Amino acid sequence: MKLVKYLFLALTLVFPFAVNADELIAADTVAGQQVIVEDDFAPDTEVAVVEDNVWTEVTDFFKTMGIVRVFDGKEDSGDWRQLLMLLISFFLLYLAIKKQYEPLLLLPIAFGMLLTNLPGAGMFHSELWSAFLDPDSPAYHSYGAILKEGGLLDVLYIGVKAGVYPCLIFIGVGAMTDFGPLIANPKSLLLGAAAQIGIFLTFLCANALGFTEAQAGSIGIIGGADGPTSIFLTSRLAPELLGPIAIAAYSYMALVPVIQPPIMRALTTKKERAIKMKQLRAVSKTEKIVFPIMVTTIVALILPDAAPLIGCLMLGNLMKECGVVDRLSKTAQNELMNIVVIFLGLSVGATATGASFLNLKTLMILAMGIVAFGCGSAGGVLLAKLMNVFSKEKINPLIGSAGVSAVPMAARVSQQVGQEENPGNFLLMHAMGPNVAGVIGSAVAAGLLLSFLG
Amino acid sequence: MILLATNWSHVWMVTLLGFSLVFVLLVVLIYVLKLFGVIMRPRVKVEKPSEVHEAVGSPRTDTSESITLTGEATAAIAMALNLYYNGIHDDEGPKQVTIKKVERRYSPWNSKLYGMNNLHRF
Repeated sequence: MKLVKYLFLALTLVFPFAVNADELIAADTVAGQQVIVEDDFAPDTEVAVVEDNVWTEVTDFFKTMGIVRVFDGKEDSGDWRQLLMLLISFFLLYLAIKKQYEPLLLLPIAFGMLLTNLPGAGMFHSELWSAFLDPDSPAYHSYGAILKEGGLLDVLYIGVKAGVYPCLIFIGVGAMTDFGPLIANPKSLLLGAAAQIGIFLTFLCANALGFTEAQAGSIGIIGGADGPTSIFLTSRLAPELLGPIAIAAYSYMALVPVIQPPIMRALTTKKERAIKMKQLRAVSKTEKIVFPIMVTTIVALILPDAAPLIGCLMLGNLMKECGVVDRLSKTAQNELMNIVVIFLGLSVGATATGASFLNLKTLMILAMGIVAFGCGSAGGVLLAKLMNVFSKEKINPLIGSAGVSAVPMAARVSQQVGQEENPGNFLLMHAMGPNVAGVIGSAVAAGLLLSFLG
Repeated sequence: MILLATNWSHVWMVTLLGFSLVFVLLVVLIYVLKLFGVIMRPRVKVEKPSEVHEAVGSPRTDTSESITLTGEATAAIAMALNLYYNGIHDDEGPKQVTIKKVERRYSPWNSKLYGMNNLHRF
């Protein structure tokens, strides 16, 4: 809170100066001209000219100041919305640093937001990207134009636009994921599929609220609780909504421990929450090696649009499990992942400009995101209950909520809520099955939406 | 007006078909994985004790039985082995490594006789 206070204080001190800056500049310029006029017949005319030049330089310098641009009233300059966005970025930085809400991504996103909303810095040009998408523009689909005229964040954003970063992140995610619990209990895939209902229900809602089908699909994918997948799909279907959707997706992922437990408790009885599940069978190394190859082949043959995401996820996993490319696996888990996270976070944050972020649509996206997330969690829990009706081996319905991706946070929440009823109950490994199934499920759902709406 | 402008037949088609296809694809994967599990489940070959006795002195035949170890059994065996091998350390023999008594040997460095405070005696 102290930080916020200091920021307000600083802005309060600077504002009056900024508001009067134009008048000061104008007054100074006039004064300079008067000096020249008065001294026109003076012997030291050169001094007056030099003085005038100095004033012109100073005036020009003042005009380039970001804080002056905010209030100069020109269309191509900043406005109050940029200042508000700066405050929002400060708040997000506070959440990332102090509250540690998904700091690895929220921090670069918030800083990207800060950089893009600095008036006059010219680090990101949304108008260039509008021209990139406009078939009538000479810069239509021209990365050359972006490289020539764009700023740093424009160049980094090319990786998002081309769908490169989410796929590279998926390689890292795959290299860090153990699919053993899923292989040991393949039924987990059903829970992962059921949790995707949030995506499709929100797709319906967004259509009803007036979004286009492509935009609705991008909003719906928030329900998958998978950041890279959301970014991948949105950059293809509705790039204009990338900022709000990425922020909604990552914010809700960070809020999994807050959002899910009430839904889980509301949909289950005490007895159901206390169910102990049979221990999972051991999974051989061969199974773990063949699994990524098999899943990639099957999914890509049935749904080629999901191939980039699933393929990269499984490539990372194969590198981890095969044991012969240890260096590559470690690089994918650490260096590659970290570098891409920085680029992705910065460039996604850069899309959150004042004009694109501060509108009613953003609020609607945030509201629908939470609906998507809640429906997804509920879908998994309800299917687990349904499976208990038909199955001999009882499943603890709490693991159903882990069907939304959010690895491994959602699985941890299942474990915590389960232990509240029965401290001796260890659901974590059982919940990891639906959890990783959710990653596959959301990637498949994204591929389907892309093939239907792309 | 917004509701009328939306192509609802297409929206419903995407919703229902999309969700169904996610399910179908993952159900296909379930069956493939189940088949996979049956084929590749780790098996341990243990010889039957009675047949081992019979086999002594007679030409060796393949009398092994394929059994599947559950997770609990594996954990119990691992625990037993761990206790057995790590427990050995506690049975300390004549070469005892645990220090049970610290002897206080005489040292002039902490002797009061040579302390500065005793100088007045001279």
